[in-house]
Amino acid sequence: MESYKQTDDNELIKASINGDKLAFGEIVDRYRKLVARIVKGMLGDSVFSEDIGQEVFIKLYYSLPDFRGEAKLSTYIQKIAVNLTLNEIKRRKRFFSMFSQKGNSEMYEFEVADVDNQEKREATETVNRALMSLEPKFRIIVSMRMLQGYSTKETAEILGLPLGTILSRLSRAREQLKNVIEKF
Amino acid sequence: MKTEEVKKLMIRSLDAEVSPHEIADQLENAGVSYDFSEGFGDKVIRKIFSVSLSVNHEVEFVRSMNYVFNRIALTGIAAIVILMISIFLMEGSFSLNSILGLGNSYDESIICMLTGK
Repeated sequence: MESYKQTDDNELIKASINGDKLAFGEIVDRYRKLVARIVKGMLGDSVFSEDIGQEVFIKLYYSLPDFRGEAKLSTYIQKIAVNLTLNEIKRRKRFFSMFSQKGNSEMYEFEVADVDNQEKREATETVNRALMSLEPKFRIIVSMRMLQGYSTKETAEILGLPLGTILSRLSRAREQLKNVIEKF
Repeated sequence: MKTEEVKKLMIRSLDAEVSPHEIADQLENAGVSYDFSEGFGDKVIRKIFSVSLSVNHEVEFVRSMNYVFNRIALTGIAAIVILMISIFLMEGSFSLNSILGLGNSYDESIICMLTGK
């Protein structure tokens, strides 16, 4: 069986376009954590995040023939993940506004069952709770910076927003995060 | 890492002068990590390729229907042409009567045929 562990992204893309399951499987393995950080950072650690994660890779597979290689594959994947996650948030908001009077924080589930160590579990829960208390437009910026280590410039590029917007949202997010964290 | 430290780290991560990469590493070391469940990759592959397979079956079906239709249409056209030629050879014209096979029939003979008298 052919292994693609050492193969670069461009080769993997070509092979995947030709229907090579193993090549696409390698792309999924390489970028699943990246997608998980975006999706779970935005939606919480629930079974719905898993579905959105799968959707991200399915969308990626069908859009690979259009990928021109001008940006890195990771950036391309992140854009798909951010868009799908924001769509999901909008969809949930619409749904919950129709059927419930509950606040945003109650829309999300917290399942951090995979983490065995108690301290690590608490750390992940703390971050999740804090992120979920932020407005989505702030949450995406905070999660990209905090969980993925992206600079302001990189965040602006990935989200397709002006640098000034990112900076002002970051400063407002900081205030919001401080208030939220003080409460728990 | 204790919860209080995680909180401080989170606030610090949004400071402009702090390297976000460093904070992300520290949070990951503290156990803040995200991944999908086991078998995630297999599920994605299964979804993609089962969909492609059903799409392929659909395309194959439409293609074979086109092929069958073409064969039937060509045979039909050939039969019509042969029929027209034979009518022309037998009747010597393409009148409506000859096409309907009424070329040599008179009204009386039709009545005889229908009533049996």
